[in-house]
Parts: sequence; C-alpha cells; structure tokens
Amino acid sequence: MKILFAITAAAISTVAAQGTLFVGTWPHTIVVVDEAKQKVVDHIELQTGVSHSMQISDDYKTIYASTIEKNGIEVIDVATRKVTNAFVLDEGGKKMRFSAWAPDPSGKLIYMIVRPIDKKIDRFEVGKTQFAVVDLAQKKIVKFVDMPGGEDAATGGGRGGSLRFSPDGKYLYRMGGAITIYDTSDFKVVDTIELSQPQFPGMQTVNLSQQLDGLQEPGMLVSLFNSSDPVIHKQIFGIARFDLDKRTFHFTPIGPAVPSMQGLHITPDRKTGYTVTTSGTPGNKRSEFWVIDVPTGKVIRTQEFDGRARYTFGMSSTGKDLYIYGAGYDVEVFDPVTLKLRSTIDLQADQTTGMIVVPGK
Amino acid sequence: MKHLRAVNHKARRIEEQIENDVVALQGPPAAGQRPHVPMGCAIVFSPGWEVDSSGGTAGLCQPVERDLYDCYISCYWPAQVPDHMNNYPDWTAKCAAATKDWRNVDLVFP
Repeated sequence: MKILFAITAAAISTVAAQGTLFVGTWPHTIVVVDEAKQKVVDHIELQTGVSHSMQISDDYKTIYASTIEKNGIEVIDVATRKVTNAFVLDEGGKKMRFSAWAPDPSGKLIYMIVRPIDKKIDRFEVGKTQFAVVDLAQKKIVKFVDMPGGEDAATGGGRGGSLRFSPDGKYLYRMGGAITIYDTSDFKVVDTIELSQPQFPGMQTVNLSQQLDGLQEPGMLVSLFNSSDPVIHKQIFGIARFDLDKRTFHFTPIGPAVPSMQGLHITPDRKTGYTVTTSGTPGNKRSEFWVIDVPTGKVIRTQEFDGRARYTFGMSSTGKDLYIYGAGYDVEVFDPVTLKLRSTIDLQADQTTGMIVVPGK
Repeated sequence: MKHLRAVNHKARRIEEQIENDVVALQGPPAAGQRPHVPMGCAIVFSPGWEVDSSGGTAGLCQPVERDLYDCYISCYWPAQVPDHMNNYPDWTAKCAAATKDWRNVDLVFP
C-alpha cells in the first residue's frame, strides 16, 4: 500500500542536542531532568497544588500545568523554569472540574471542557458539561458555552486532553469518536469528520489513540488508530496523521491489532517509530516494544520487556532513549537498538503527570 | 451490599449507580461477568487495600505503594485511602516517594 507519510521540512533536526524532561511529581513539584546527564537538575514548585496534567506551547517556550485540588492552572516559563502565573478556578464550595483542555496559540486563553460541582450541605450537585474559556490575564473563566449538540457530545475528553487548535487559533478540534471542529469565536460547529466513514477499502470503524505522539510536527497530529473491516471484523492498527490546517486525514494500516497499545513515538529523522503493546490479564500481562519502519509501514521488530503494572511510554528528544515511567518514582531508560534496560533515572518523588520532552538547541 | 439499606439522599443516589453486587475476591467471575468495583475513595472495604480490574491483586503495582497517589489524588481507582479531594489534603504531604517514604504517611482519624 502506498505510504502516505509526507516528510515535512519542519521535521526536527537529526543532529539535535539532547533536551530536557519535565515531569510532575508529588507533592506539588515539577522535576527537571537533563537528558544527557539523566539526572534531576532542577525543581519547580507549583503554587496551587498537585499537578495532574501538563501541556507545552508549539514553540516549546511555555508549559501549562493543571493542578487538581482546586482546579488550578499554572504557567511555567521553560527558559527560566519559573512559574509566571498561577490561579485556581474553584470559588468557595463551587468546584470547576475540567477534563480536556488546551492553551490557544496566542498563549492568552485556555479552552476547556468543564463540569461545575456545587457543594451543598449534604451532597454535591453536578452541573452540566460546558465549554469554558479561561483568560490567563484575568485569572478566571470569562465565558461558558453549552456544548453544541448537548452534553452527550462531550464524551471523548479523557485525561491528558483531546482538544487542539488550528495553527491560526480560529478553530478548535475536539477528538472523540469523531473530530468536531468549532469556530473559536462563537463555538458553532463548522465541520465534523466522522471517523466511521471509510477512508480506504475495507475500513469500517476508526478509533484514535488517546495518547498522541510526543514529537508532533507543527499543525499535525500523529496517532495510532484501530480499525475493523465490515465483513469478518478483523481488527487492524495503523498510523493516522491529521492535518489541523487542511483538515485532511491520512491512514497507514500496519497489522493486526493487539488489546492495548501505548502512544506512537517517531524518531526525529521520521524513519523509525516505537510503540508499546500489552496483552494478557492483569496478573499475566505481557509488555512488548514494537519497532515500526515508517517508510514501509511494517513492524520490523518486537521485544518483550519487564513492564510494571501501570506505566506510560515515552521517547527522548533525540530518539536515542526510550522511557517507561509512571506509577512510582523512577524512569526506566531503554536502548532503542537492543530494546534492553540501560539505566534508571531516580526522580526522588512519585510521578503525577505525563512527561514533557523539550528538545535541545 | 444486599443487606444495606439507603437511608438518605446521598446513599440512594449511590444505590442507583450500583447495578451489580460487589464480587472482588469471592472467586473467579462467571463467564461474561466482570467484577463490579464501585468508583470512589474508601468505599471498598473488601478485600483490603485495592483490587485490580479482574477482582484480584496480581495485577496491582509492585509494591502497592507505587500506586498510592493515583488512588489518593484522582480517585481514579478505588482503594482504601483517605479522601484527598475533600477531607485529607495533607495525608502524604511529608512523603514524596511512597515506596521509600511510606513511614512518613500521616495518620488520619475519620
């Protein structure tokens, strides 16, 4: 099958220096890890509580962290490693629990899907799911908008966020069973891309992975997808690339699907992809690295490894280290060639978020 | 759960949410039956600290302290830990890495 990947001029340099890792940890700290030294080199103390998720701006200059106790937002300058803005959305007994969220390209607003929860004398009253716009300068929600299509349309948020903006900030994409595109000025639905529509012969249903590639190209989302054919319902997986500007999809089917796959990570030269699969019941779980040759779309190697019960898969900025982390205080570093454990980074605190990888200069 | 009767508004709402009985470690589930593990902090009292999605303990983090914070912070998975969101925000304030520092976890008295 014709390979639909386009190697863009924006691809990260293949000779980039090693970068920096930012990981949220207990109790309210983001630890900074030097990839070259594989050691913690700095700590960023948050002001509003435990970090639950983080996102980074497209220019890699700003990290946005959500904190959980009082539904806080913190803005961190990557260069100085300082918190430049911090506030909470809760007001008294009214909690603003939010799930999917994303900073807009201007860095002035955060769009989120929020569900207000009001604490009464004997119960919590859960409000309806809405869009909310947070003004970072005013440090508060400045707009609520009912979900177009009703609350049922709010599914698909999930942890880690599934909202993305078009490069010009005019459109907001919500990734779920379909991709719904909203005009950010009035939240009207301008387009819906039904992933169930056949994209190539035999494809019936498509589900995008919640976890997206850690090394995205600007304006492009890269994700694993699962699909089944309409006749014998054979499950396959592949790579999906969605152009946020042109709103076009490209799918590359790769092979039979497995019960669980973690995010896809592609080396800076765009030639090799890595993912992690898990199969088996909880007590007999089998974890494997899968190495994918991107130009041919074939799995060229698999390797079982001793995976912890719950973990997240990541890759270094240079593609020379694979990371297994989460559920604990350490990051296991695997060699991408041998796929064997090479070393361990002790964060000295339990992890509470995914990892932000900032490339070196 | 069959022997419990809801007596207030909150309990009735919990009761409405529970469709099946809690099975946990009573034995391997029958074909087609999945263990029902109600969501939320500290409402599961059997078999002990935590169960995995199959109702057993073999799939839990090793050691279990590795999983302390996701149970405590987000209430994502039911476990017998204090309620961080509402009543015990400082339970582990002196304990950065639970596997190493679990002795620093504070005592709570409901």
